[in-house]
Amino acid sequence: MLEVAVEKHFDGFRLDVAFTADTGLVVIFGPSGAGKSLTLQAIAGTFLPKTGRIVIDGQIVYDSAQQINFPPQARRVGYVPQHYALFPHLTAKENISFGLVHLPRHRQEQRTGELIELFDLRGLEHRRPRELSGGQQQRIALARALAVHPRLLLLDEPFAALDAPLRGALRQELAQVQERWGITTLIVTHDLADAFALGQRVIVYDGGRVIQQGTREEVFFRPVTHRVAEFVGTGNILPAVVEQTEEGTLWLRWQGHRIATMPALFAPRTLVYLCIRPTQILIVRPDRLAERERENLLCGRIVSEMMQAETYTLHMRLDHSNAEHDLEIALPAYVYHRLSLDAEKRLMVELRRQALHVIPRDAGTT
Amino acid sequence: MKSNLAILLLPVLLVTGFLALPLLAVFLKVLPQEGVWATLQQPLVTEALRLSVITSLSSLLLAVVFGTPIAYLLARCHLPGAALLDTLIDLPMVLPPTVAGVALLMAFGRRGLLGSWLDAVGIHIGFTTVAVILAQSFVSMPFYIRAARAGFQSVDQELERVAYTLGHSAFSTFLRVTVPLALPALLGGAVMAWARALGEFGATIMFAGNLIGRTQTMPLAIYIAMESDLTAALVLSAILVLVSFSVLLLVRSLLRRSPFGAYA
Repeated sequence: MLEVAVEKHFDGFRLDVAFTADTGLVVIFGPSGAGKSLTLQAIAGTFLPKTGRIVIDGQIVYDSAQQINFPPQARRVGYVPQHYALFPHLTAKENISFGLVHLPRHRQEQRTGELIELFDLRGLEHRRPRELSGGQQQRIALARALAVHPRLLLLDEPFAALDAPLRGALRQELAQVQERWGITTLIVTHDLADAFALGQRVIVYDGGRVIQQGTREEVFFRPVTHRVAEFVGTGNILPAVVEQTEEGTLWLRWQGHRIATMPALFAPRTLVYLCIRPTQILIVRPDRLAERERENLLCGRIVSEMMQAETYTLHMRLDHSNAEHDLEIALPAYVYHRLSLDAEKRLMVELRRQALHVIPRDAGTT
Repeated sequence: MKSNLAILLLPVLLVTGFLALPLLAVFLKVLPQEGVWATLQQPLVTEALRLSVITSLSSLLLAVVFGTPIAYLLARCHLPGAALLDTLIDLPMVLPPTVAGVALLMAFGRRGLLGSWLDAVGIHIGFTTVAVILAQSFVSMPFYIRAARAGFQSVDQELERVAYTLGHSAFSTFLRVTVPLALPALLGGAVMAWARALGEFGATIMFAGNLIGRTQTMPLAIYIAMESDLTAALVLSAILVLVSFSVLLLVRSLLRRSPFGAYA
């Protein structure tokens, strides 16, 4: 369990964040320059905030009010900075045993040996960091940090230095390490895919502040502001107006259409954003229209399309609309071809209310 | 294009000749001299050699002991007045050595600012071997401090932070991480400072005088020998040329081949 509240104003930047993290994988997600790395350093004890409080597993390691400030040596926090910061003058083995020098020789050997085995580094013991691949370097950095039995593991952009194909494999590896050691792990990333794949809990940063924190589902599917919605790749953030609340339904008006959404407490005429992720928009085949009860059906045509790997991103303009496009839709390539959308270009879509999320438009404008 | 390059060749040849010829001349003149070996055993030469080795190594030791913490401080901390300290440290590199000698005399000489106090308690610095060491330190320390500061600056602070989180104290981290990584720069700076101390003439002769066996280092001995014994002057000069040349080669190889390569 980790409790963090830190504040410091310097060089025209203000870091003022507070969050809690329970056990498991916790992701701090946000654009570069949002204060993510600085937060890790504050927790590790290598950056001193002006005020705040940091509690690790019930132990106060920093509290400005009580004038408590544990040095990094006494915090028992494993810190893996961006690019891993392996000691370039030491071998892989010497890097791993760096935090164990106070132990008797045979204990050092034993512990280092265990970690080399566990992280599958046998045969690389005597290589120096520059002779190792990005993935091997990451494993050594993790082994080095875990060697001293930390209570908390802090990883700063752990995948930034890696090629795309390796990232997926190492995400999985990292999740396994976390599970095996049962250690609370805080990961800083600006990469949406990393955050989505790893964050059981996600803390969204922007400009030195926490703009949302919650479970992965909450943050990715129910962003609280337009800004968060943008960060988490919501795709469709549509300005709409509340029309009326009915039993079981909140009715919105968007582009002349009435849209039914899940009930929520909004007064009529409230300005809102209607959010739906591009992958959540259903394409309705005319011959299957009557299969079940449909809602929020919209017709239009495809104005542009882009293929990325195995996904198509389509931009759809609704009938009678004069916008550039109204909806962004993402679908697997095989669906795209089965529906012969390349020939047709006309489309009927359904916005299922479970996939819709409504944000008040004034939220987060401060 | 080719003719353009040919024009460039002329200054290259001229400058190369201008720099190499005098150095070559020292060796070409010393070799046919008779009694080179006997000259090497003259007291003038042996005393100068002995004194130069002792004083230049002493001033190097002072530079390393006092210069290392200063260099680290300048590299890592944003002290108020750091720019002023920086300039002060660089000053001896551009100051004429004779001026440095006069300045040292005015500070530590018998009637100097601090010297008169020291004199009152029976400590005399002027015209002693200690004065030679002080003069050499004054002019050579900046070479070490500058190189060491650059070396420390090149060490990623993230490495030091990681060492702290792994339980190492600031001092342990300095010894195990910072120094090994800055070592090529530290050695390069030390060698440059030592070479500068070895060649020190102006400040020494002003502040320490020219007493055989006490303050007469090699450059001073060369100056004296030119009037009486050309062979001795040539032999000493040849030694200094060789030492300087080796020093430069050593520094270049140290700086070029950082043993750990890029680690980012």
